[in-house]
Amino acid sequence: MKITRGQIFTHILCLLPISFLVLGYFRNALTANPIQALTLRSGHTAVNLLMLTLACRPLSDIFGLTALMKIRVILGLYAFFYALFHFLVFAGLDFEFNLKWVWEEIRFKPFIQIGLSSLVLLIPLAVTSTVRLRKKMGKRWQLLHRLAYVAAALSVLHYLMASKGDFVIPAIYGMLLFFLLILRLPPLNKTRLANQPRWVSNLNQFLLKT
Amino acid sequence: MKHLINSSEITPEELYVSRRRFIKNALTASAAALLAGACQPGQGDLPAAPTLTPDTKPPTASSLRDDMGNLLTDYNSIVSYTNYYEFSTDKQGPTRLAQSFQTVPWSVAVGGLVGNPRTFTTEEIKSLFESEERIYRMRCVEGWSMVIPWMGFPLNRLLEVVEPTARAKYVRLETLYDPDQMPNQRTQIFPWPYIEGLRLDEAMHDLTLLATGIYGKSLTPQNGAPIRLVVPWKYGFKSIKSIVKIDLVEEMPVSLWMASAPNEYGFYANVNPNVNHPRWSQATERRIGQNGRIDTLLFNGYEDEVANLYQGMDLVVNF
Repeated sequence: MKITRGQIFTHILCLLPISFLVLGYFRNALTANPIQALTLRSGHTAVNLLMLTLACRPLSDIFGLTALMKIRVILGLYAFFYALFHFLVFAGLDFEFNLKWVWEEIRFKPFIQIGLSSLVLLIPLAVTSTVRLRKKMGKRWQLLHRLAYVAAALSVLHYLMASKGDFVIPAIYGMLLFFLLILRLPPLNKTRLANQPRWVSNLNQFLLKT
Repeated sequence: MKHLINSSEITPEELYVSRRRFIKNALTASAAALLAGACQPGQGDLPAAPTLTPDTKPPTASSLRDDMGNLLTDYNSIVSYTNYYEFSTDKQGPTRLAQSFQTVPWSVAVGGLVGNPRTFTTEEIKSLFESEERIYRMRCVEGWSMVIPWMGFPLNRLLEVVEPTARAKYVRLETLYDPDQMPNQRTQIFPWPYIEGLRLDEAMHDLTLLATGIYGKSLTPQNGAPIRLVVPWKYGFKSIKSIVKIDLVEEMPVSLWMASAPNEYGFYANVNPNVNHPRWSQATERRIGQNGRIDTLLFNGYEDEVANLYQGMDLVVNF
């Protein structure tokens, strides 16, 4: 299978945040508390990518942007990658892989339990993301991958609970997720744009070029 | 990454704070000269910029360490990494957004249950109360900490002038409310203005400071200019910034944090590694500028000085 332009762009865009973070960390440019900055920014990126992953299907259906279905798996894998990185910053950099400390954090903090559940739910999705397994598992694959919505909901809840006082942005994510979810339920999942705008079909073709 | 920093080696404030302005000025002024200045902190005079803050003294401190031998946090970290939600909930936001904050003229109205209510201008405060240096550890409830050489005077000196009456049991302090200057006060995310409170004996304690400076320099706006509270054995949010009003009251004041999240923030907010916060570890902390975690100490290491204030109290219930 040849790689499309859309897929190349996705890889480049998804690798930018981690590049900035690593570069910023070693150049000492991540505030006076770089570990906190790494934690916050990796978490934000993971949530953003999860949202984008879930937006692929409705956008593809409604606007005929079928190119998005070719990048959905990549986005999902990067979402998992950033969520894992977020966890490793927490457990490794922040709490120095000190199992007692990490366990105390997990034990006493519901928001960490919820974030961790989200990450754990993403593991089977990442593992079964290959085309081969998708074909092999058929209907069961579809069912399993609906867990992405659960994982996203948990990650938004985690974000909300981790916020100090200012809940506006996590609440916006919550509403966005709710909107994405109802777009997948009947009758809205049958929504199709009658006339695909010219620029959308052009964009779609551009992204699908190998 | 342990290193000793002489205070003379610390990047001067004018360099740090107005870096953004330097960048803007560079469009009109000689970019080369500015860059040369910016690359060599401490060498030669910086080009005169009209936007410099008035206090251009280099940061100085009498010691490099606090009473427990902890290294001072460098000046740049103290002025660039702050919580000041009136300006922004982002750590670096206040440094940018508070630069034009007007602290002249400024006055603090002290009243309530006192025999001698009085409004002090900052000039009067300066002449009435002799400023001294106090090196304190500052522990934020978010799990990070700094060691800061404050300039200021004990709050009890000011309270003695106004003569609290026998009915006065608590001190209630209030930050400026000015949405024109403090952009986040235009939002409804918190019940502005910022309120904090102390029990009268806590307020009268010699460690409780009204601070007007850091590292021998005037407070920057993001650090709470022109005058703020510093209560070193309590979490940082108790140390209310840019105070305009101090009232002696009979009832326990409800602070902004108590009002917005009563299960997370109590009135006392004493640093206590044994009382967990739903979000942040209170057993350990990260000292800004240093690698690794350190144990958080009961009352932030000021147990000998303040434990007697809470004798017989359940500190888990009174968190």
